[in-house]
Amino acid sequence: MEGKTTYWQENLRLIFICLAIWFVVSFGLGLLLVEPLNAIRLGGYKLGFWFAQQGSIYTFVGLIFWYTAKMNALDKKYDVEES
Amino acid sequence: MNKHTKMALMVAPFLILGGYIASDFYIEDQAQKQRVFQLVPYGHCDVINQSCILKSGEFEVNVFDEAGITKVNATFPLDTATLFLVDAEQNVSTHQLGMTDSPYYWQSPTALRSLIPKKGDKYKLRLIANIKGGQYISEFYTQTTQ
Repeated sequence: MEGKTTYWQENLRLIFICLAIWFVVSFGLGLLLVEPLNAIRLGGYKLGFWFAQQGSIYTFVGLIFWYTAKMNALDKKYDVEES
Repeated sequence: MNKHTKMALMVAPFLILGGYIASDFYIEDQAQKQRVFQLVPYGHCDVINQSCILKSGEFEVNVFDEAGITKVNATFPLDTATLFLVDAEQNVSTHQLGMTDSPYYWQSPTALRSLIPKKGDKYKLRLIANIKGGQYISEFYTQTTQ
């Protein structure tokens, strides 16, 4: 029972980290900090604009694989892997 | 593809959609806030000889006169545009410009051409251009160059 609780707590922690990154990338870099970031250029594009248009999407896709890898590691740690 | 990948792939579109909707609300809220920007002349301003551009960031307004009709052409669509002619005694004559063809073009008959017909004549103008969520204001001089 205790193992299940800590597994779930670690799972929740991972979800909150993912949501925090999702928020920082989409709202933080793509909206709230867009003006100062636009002063920086990335491949000819304004960085704030780039985050709003592409960067956040790349991060979301990266988050999917990162979450999966971390969860697989968690499954292995608690010995609840899929057979 | 294990259960975690499937779960992440199922949740991601909802987060993206949620982010899109929340961003839209945020941007809409920001756009509703009235802000004031100052337009400044870009180079020498000569309304009579159709060479007067006012600028604020990416927003530009071209002010020119054709046969006694003072015209304003903006890079963004305007809600209203008002031109003020200010004489040496600071008396103001107000001209509410009317839209022509599209919200990018505004005009009104003014006495400006008869007030500064000769080379070197100078006159003070003020312009207030309203767009959604913003008011562009300017006080500038037009000087006839030829």
